[in-house]
Amino acid sequence: MSAPLVLGIETSCDETGVALVRGKDLLFDAVASSMDEHARFGGIIPEIASRAHLEAMVPTIRRALEGADVDLGQVDAIAVTAGPGLVGPLTIGAAAAKALSIGLGVPLYGVNHVIGHAAVDELVHGSFPDQVMALVVSGGHSSLLLVDDIVTGVTELGSTLDDAAGEAFDKVGRLLGLPYPGGPHIDRLAREGDPTAIRFPRGLTAAKDQAEHAYDFSFSGLKTAVARWVETRTDAGQEIPVADVAASFAAAVADVLTAKTIAACRRHGVSTLVIGGGFSANSQLRDLAAVRCAEAGIELRIPPIRFCTDNGAMIAALGSAALSRGVAPSRLDLPVDSSMPLIRVTV
Amino acid sequence: MSDLEVHVELADADATRDYGRALAGLLRAGDLVLLSGALGAGKTTLTQGIGAGLDVRGQVASPTFIIARVHPSLGAGPALVHVDAYRLGSLDEVEALDLDTSLDESVTVVEWGEGLLEGLAPDRLEIDIQRPHGGLDLGVDDLDPADLDPADLDPAGGVRTVRVRARGPRWSGVRLPVVG
Repeated sequence: MSAPLVLGIETSCDETGVALVRGKDLLFDAVASSMDEHARFGGIIPEIASRAHLEAMVPTIRRALEGADVDLGQVDAIAVTAGPGLVGPLTIGAAAAKALSIGLGVPLYGVNHVIGHAAVDELVHGSFPDQVMALVVSGGHSSLLLVDDIVTGVTELGSTLDDAAGEAFDKVGRLLGLPYPGGPHIDRLAREGDPTAIRFPRGLTAAKDQAEHAYDFSFSGLKTAVARWVETRTDAGQEIPVADVAASFAAAVADVLTAKTIAACRRHGVSTLVIGGGFSANSQLRDLAAVRCAEAGIELRIPPIRFCTDNGAMIAALGSAALSRGVAPSRLDLPVDSSMPLIRVTV
Repeated sequence: MSDLEVHVELADADATRDYGRALAGLLRAGDLVLLSGALGAGKTTLTQGIGAGLDVRGQVASPTFIIARVHPSLGAGPALVHVDAYRLGSLDEVEALDLDTSLDESVTVVEWGEGLLEGLAPDRLEIDIQRPHGGLDLGVDDLDPADLDPADLDPAGGVRTVRVRARGPRWSGVRLPVVG
């Protein structure tokens, strides 16, 4: 008998993602983005994000079902992002999921978006070993998770105390006069610059921070240091070596993320690292993680980019995992939670 | 005229948090706080102090990406709604934020909200935070890292100058804290 068929819905931010997963096999993944609509308005407007999800929901579900070549009637369970994310968009996804759950008479699983970013790797690279370390980095998140079991045994070792890694890239991009979002531009410029040109600070790496914040991240001070460095040069009438600033900044981010993650792997005796979330596309992070994991004898697993950005497969994967462990389904009045703690995998 | 204004100097990030904690002692459900200041001024740091003072759940981090994050109270007090208008194109009304939480029952702190929200709320605290501009000792005009004094780049370092303005009848007669 084949594993249950799970339909996953992701709406935490700009992407409307719907995917169908059977066990650990991805049947189809459909994504619609509202980024173009936000660009028209010159910024994000939460109400427009919600409307875009509302308009995209039914067509995206239909596209996923057609792509997977299944009927709605064959779906055994619904999984949906319960948080963290934008409240309005989360509410649209949850409403759709509840309607499907009631209409089809199948259980509903509200799951954690950040943990979904790690769970999706099982669809790509196969089942996790007994323990994995997961670094989830994106525009909105930077979290280090020790995973004994993706549903019942996730421990948050650390997270950012201020800015997420991708957010710091976007803000430094603005400081350097690059178009929004600045992340990809800094990544490109950094490849042309000297990463050792400027020794920018590594947040929370001082000895005094090790007791409380060994595995937490802080990128706000780094951002401020870049701002003041650029201001100092500008005030002195000197040119800004943009590629060197970008390279030195990107090196600082990649250094801290990988150093703390590898230290956590060693501390906990973990030999597999999963990096997920949109910022895992960053080439400085990928390169340094590959080098340091090889040195430390750690297997590095990074899903392809389309599974690192927000998608429905990650939610279906986590829902499928919850179902397979016999976790109780969520209540039909499950609330969405913009600041859902990482200790909650399901609600 | 009920406007009040105080100026405060805060030595470092901890002092900024302490000041936020002191402000939290004055804040009650329905209050609106608008924070302004350059990138890296310490807006989120101040909000961390407010969150600690209000005793709310979760790490108070930058909400830039998520636009708004709701931190429920761990006790009986108001929730903290932490909003960041940095990525917003415009904001005609607070309702456009699409929050699931009643602002009447929460303390709402908005970063980058200047010029967007003033007309909507007669009662508000406007807090402007200034960090040191430039001023790093970069030595000669080369990029030798040895020319950088790490202490100059200490993220917690650098005095912040804070101006707090209380607007509207809500704040009439309220004494604003002058130290954390």
